[in-house]
Amino acid sequence: MQMLSARWLAFAAVALAVGCSSRDDRLTITIWHQSRPAERELLAEEIARYEAEHPGVRIRALYKETEELRSGFQAAALAGAGPELVYGPSDVLDTFHTMGIIRDLGPWVPEAERDDFVTGALTFLPARDDRSRRDLVQVGDRFGNHLALVYNRRLVPEPPRTTAELVAIARDCTVDGDGDGRSDQYGLVWNFTEPFFAVPFLTGFGGWVFREPESTPPTPGLDSPAMAAALGFIRDLREVHRVAPANCDYELADSLFKTGRAAMIINGDWSWSDYLAIPEIDAAVAVLPVVDETSAPMRPMVAPKGYSLNANATGPAADVAMDFVRHVTGDEAQRRLVNRLRMLPARRSAWEDPVFAADPTLAASRAQLENGRLMPVATELRAVWDGMRPSYQALLGGGLAPDAAAARMQTDAERFIDAMHRQLEPGIAVPILQALGALFLAALLVWQWPTFLALLRDLRPNRTAYGFAAPAVVLVFAVIVFPFFSNLVLSLSDMSLTRFRNWRVVGLQNYAEVLSDPRLWGLTGVFMKTLVWTAVNVACHVSIGVLLAVALNGPVRCKALYRLLLIIPWAVPAYITALTWRGMFDYEYGAVNLLLGRWLGLAPVNWLGEPLRAFEACILTNVWLGYPFMMVIALGGMQGIPQELYEAARIDRASRWQQFRHITLPLLKPVLLPAITLGAIWTFNNLNVVWLVSNGGEPQDSTHILVSYVYKSVFNLYRYGYGAALSTVMFLILLAFSLVFLQRSQATESVYR
Amino acid sequence: MASVTLRALEKRYPDGYHAVRGVSLDIADGEFLVLVGPSGCGKSTTLRMVAGLEEISGGTIRIGDRVVNDVAPGDRDIAMVFQNYALYPHLTVRENMAFGLTMRRMPRPEIDRRVAAAAESLSISHLLTRRPRELSGGQRQRVALGRAIVREPQVFLFDEPLSNLDAKLRVQMRAEIAALHRQLAATVIYVTHDQVEAMTLGQRIALMNHGVVQQVDAPLAIYHRPANRFVASFIGSPTMNFFSGTVSDNAFQVTSGGPRLPLNTAAMPAGPAVLGIRPEDFVASMQGDCVPFATVTLDMAEHLGHETLAHFTLPGGGPAIARLPGDAAAQVGHRVDLAVRRQALHVFAADEDGRRLN
Amino acid sequence: MKEPRSITLVRHAVLLVFVAVSLYPVLNVVSISLRPGNRLRSTDLAIIPADWTVASYVQLFTEQPFLTWLWNSLVVSGLVTLTGVALASTAGYAFSRFRFIGRKATMLAILTTQMFPATMLLLPLYILIARLGLVNTWLGLMIFYTATALPFCVWQMKGFYDTIPPSLEEAARIDGCSRAGAFRHVVLPLATPGLVITALFSFMTAWSEYIVAAQVMQDEAMFTLPLGIKSFQASLSSQWGLYAAASILVSIPVVAVFLALSRYLVNGLTLGSVKE
Repeated sequence: MQMLSARWLAFAAVALAVGCSSRDDRLTITIWHQSRPAERELLAEEIARYEAEHPGVRIRALYKETEELRSGFQAAALAGAGPELVYGPSDVLDTFHTMGIIRDLGPWVPEAERDDFVTGALTFLPARDDRSRRDLVQVGDRFGNHLALVYNRRLVPEPPRTTAELVAIARDCTVDGDGDGRSDQYGLVWNFTEPFFAVPFLTGFGGWVFREPESTPPTPGLDSPAMAAALGFIRDLREVHRVAPANCDYELADSLFKTGRAAMIINGDWSWSDYLAIPEIDAAVAVLPVVDETSAPMRPMVAPKGYSLNANATGPAADVAMDFVRHVTGDEAQRRLVNRLRMLPARRSAWEDPVFAADPTLAASRAQLENGRLMPVATELRAVWDGMRPSYQALLGGGLAPDAAAARMQTDAERFIDAMHRQLEPGIAVPILQALGALFLAALLVWQWPTFLALLRDLRPNRTAYGFAAPAVVLVFAVIVFPFFSNLVLSLSDMSLTRFRNWRVVGLQNYAEVLSDPRLWGLTGVFMKTLVWTAVNVACHVSIGVLLAVALNGPVRCKALYRLLLIIPWAVPAYITALTWRGMFDYEYGAVNLLLGRWLGLAPVNWLGEPLRAFEACILTNVWLGYPFMMVIALGGMQGIPQELYEAARIDRASRWQQFRHITLPLLKPVLLPAITLGAIWTFNNLNVVWLVSNGGEPQDSTHILVSYVYKSVFNLYRYGYGAALSTVMFLILLAFSLVFLQRSQATESVYR
Repeated sequence: MASVTLRALEKRYPDGYHAVRGVSLDIADGEFLVLVGPSGCGKSTTLRMVAGLEEISGGTIRIGDRVVNDVAPGDRDIAMVFQNYALYPHLTVRENMAFGLTMRRMPRPEIDRRVAAAAESLSISHLLTRRPRELSGGQRQRVALGRAIVREPQVFLFDEPLSNLDAKLRVQMRAEIAALHRQLAATVIYVTHDQVEAMTLGQRIALMNHGVVQQVDAPLAIYHRPANRFVASFIGSPTMNFFSGTVSDNAFQVTSGGPRLPLNTAAMPAGPAVLGIRPEDFVASMQGDCVPFATVTLDMAEHLGHETLAHFTLPGGGPAIARLPGDAAAQVGHRVDLAVRRQALHVFAADEDGRRLN
Repeated sequence: MKEPRSITLVRHAVLLVFVAVSLYPVLNVVSISLRPGNRLRSTDLAIIPADWTVASYVQLFTEQPFLTWLWNSLVVSGLVTLTGVALASTAGYAFSRFRFIGRKATMLAILTTQMFPATMLLLPLYILIARLGLVNTWLGLMIFYTATALPFCVWQMKGFYDTIPPSLEEAARIDGCSRAGAFRHVVLPLATPGLVITALFSFMTAWSEYIVAAQVMQDEAMFTLPLGIKSFQASLSSQWGLYAAASILVSIPVVAVFLALSRYLVNGLTLGSVKE
């Protein structure tokens, strides 16, 4: 023991020394950015160039994925820390600005210089304290995110100019070569499941996501005839013209086009270079066609990407950070951007670069940008997307007509915006609540005082026990106590988008809302679904795990090999395997349907398109992820079962089942119980699988379990108080479950005492 | 070797259970003392307190001249053999036996010598490289004994060591333990619930019930003069018959018209009492030192060959057993004239303690 | 132990079916890693694509700081495993063998730490880590990982100790061990399967976590593997080839650790030690 701990300490010291040695004296500026791989290289070069010119400065660029950057920056900024600069598209700026976690950049960008930027590259928002003044919240360095039509020149010699041509070409290119009833090549694919990709159709039919003229705050305008027409057109592409596969999500569309099995794809500027690099498909980019009915072009949303400054960044750090922004938005850097990445720059002078004339893709990109519409910088846009998604997916699943879908999109979006802006006023209950809280604490103290005294007396005689237990217990509690109480306080507060930093305790209103939500507690509600999810998963984990352990725990050849292969689902990161499972559940190309059809002769199941099937798909995936761990535990537990018991049982002529039932199971109990208890808790709180397999609750937000529901309400609608209340309720549910389960199973008691 | 002295030993558990109440015992150097009693009587707890495995709530334990109340078990110079053998499953037989010596940092050659000697005397030399799971029950028991022997402790403690063995092995191991004690001349405290083990092994027996020592004496003394009704009923098989009645005028009158037996009642208070007669003290025909008991009708007769167990019921009393010779012609329904040896009448108080009165 | 052939066949059948089920999705990941051009989906069932390439693997080692991340992860996970096993084996022992005030309550209380969804605790957790000045340090990560892994490990160890007869320790104490000595010489060796599970679990906790790591670590040179891999992922433009290749490589150490430990996992020792 002493030897071990000495070695351990030495190892720890060395490791920590290594971990902490990367310090230097330069002023460090941190950038969190959402750049794509090719863009990161250029960013790294610009940083190197800047650091060479400014030896006292170190710039640390850190890639963050969209959601991670948003939630991470909010948390860090609230804690008074975080990166000096955040870099990304303009869509989150309103959120950051409303929360008060980014600064006005006006002082660093004088009026005179603002005309050097293309219109829309600088993003302004009304100041928080004075709506008549405008804050500069982002300095853009490029435009992007616009969709255009990419076509495979081997299949489509000339791109379509109108939607009629688009449909005609797409129909011609949809081919069932081997005549098995499944198309082997599709005419037109894109990310059918995501409303962002429907925007060009909406604009082409004359509609827009917000009511026009736009008000502040904007109101959604989704129930327009233009929307109904656009939705009808999209639906017909798949249902009538059948030019795209069922359940065509982003990755499937992408793979089809890349392998030459789709003639055309609608995709954003980020994807084009990948397509152009594949010689087999000879891709080219064209402007989206004109809609025949309206004679208007399909106009994608465009957005600038750029830098914003953390509200916590002050003094020289802020100045240096903005100096770096000036560097990357300078003429030279902007020209490098155009030439290297073929992206559209923010500075006017860079648009004069000769490369625009030489590169047809860049020209097409420019043309598409010029007829694009600037993405509104409004937090409400997120509620609009969330409002659109369920009805959009219902439409594609055949459950809703276009006009009904449009109407429901509108009501859903309005509901979300309402929820997002809901203001809670401190209830009269607050002082009562405080008094009750104090009373409860006092009662607890009085009630537990004798126990506490007994504990003090017990400390000496039982010092070995306390000494053994203390390190682990203290560590666990040290980490959890603050978050626990913080969550408790937040659940009583009105922390939300508009009250992010200046939240107040308002009483039990969040709990009232949580407990009265029929979507949560109804018979087909999220809670019941969570129970089914947890019960089915844990039951399958345990039974498969024990089954495999029993199978392995006998005279079998190649035991070690089997064991090794069977734990592999546990060893590979769940993120990628969950996505692989999503692919395996694909209607047309997924392995599950192909095997069901080939071996059992079953008709293909629309796993990801139907609510119940999608939920089953999530469960199947999670079962797969979880049984290896249970198997390992059961294997370990079985080693403690004395062989004599089996011999005795055989003498008593017990069948194998009886041996298992009366010897194996009872003796596995002490080892399996913690795993089952915690397995149930983890499964109950398992966000990843639902999120990945059903792509965030698809279709129609029907696969949510409590934790993904809370995640969605907190991260999409910024309702921190509500989310905290819901998580506290979840905590109480789990606590009650554990208490009952452990009490009934006598898990805290030992077999031998 | 050393003596062991227990003085007013107490054990109370945190939940209030009073397991051992004021036990005082003197075990002489080299003595074999058996602690016997029904399960839950506190005998194991007492032994475990001597071993140091249970905290002492009160009183003192002395091994040799040393008070060991606060001495760790490993420093008390004792060895213990457990009911379940408690062999270390991850060690070989040799390592199991050597474990205690290794812990005491004894030189390797000395350890080897002692292990070899102990293994030799227990005839387990051929098993030294095996793991416990590869041994039979009897072999495991020998290893457990060997592990105790190699330590050459001052005191051996046995906690029901034979109860997991089958009947035949138990007889054999009993003999070996007795031989071992003679050979080592060691002080032994031996806990069992089995009166045969107690009678055959013990030089003295301490009989416990409800945490209290009922009687400490040589086996035959306990058999012949049980100190109270509990001791009387615990030792002897089949168990002693009890008849309630009254003591008066140099006689014991069994209740409701039962027999009246002449008795020296000089030391006894007159009044209700309980008469105890062992089944083997009944005779079917009057002999010189006997007194007539009663004529009884047999409810059942068990012919065991060397003896016959005759079951009968006295009017107004409970069932009783008389042990008659194997050739007795007793059958169900027979009437038998029973007499009883005059010296074998035990009279106990009628109260709960049932103290011996004669 | 001999058993009928039919039973052995059933064993093999069950195992083979589940091996197939276990491996197929992972082979799909292998397939993704061999595809050129970042294709997550495929339209056929072929595991080795017609246009296969190992470019992703080469790129991982030549163009990405994969080895740095690997080393970082090994250090962090190794330390978390050691602390986790050390703390859980002692605490589990206390909960299994001793009866002390607050024992049950504490056991339940450490479970409660698992009952909040991790994403909801991110904000207060980050504030805590920031206040303690542990942002961008491995220490902060390791404390969090150990605390996350401990509740399960403590309960698991307690469960294993419960299956070890206390008389073994008593024998050891009479043989001259202190309580700690009996724990070390007798109990720990017998609880090896539990220690192995605890070690594997602690290792995996640290090996695969990225949500908190993403919040805490600010230097790419100090990234752990999951963080590094996460950087291949971007909305709508992930580098799936690299992602899949790295995922496959990441699982190799786990398999290796399992391989090294599984001997102890299945080497039962308590067999025949005692008869109850």
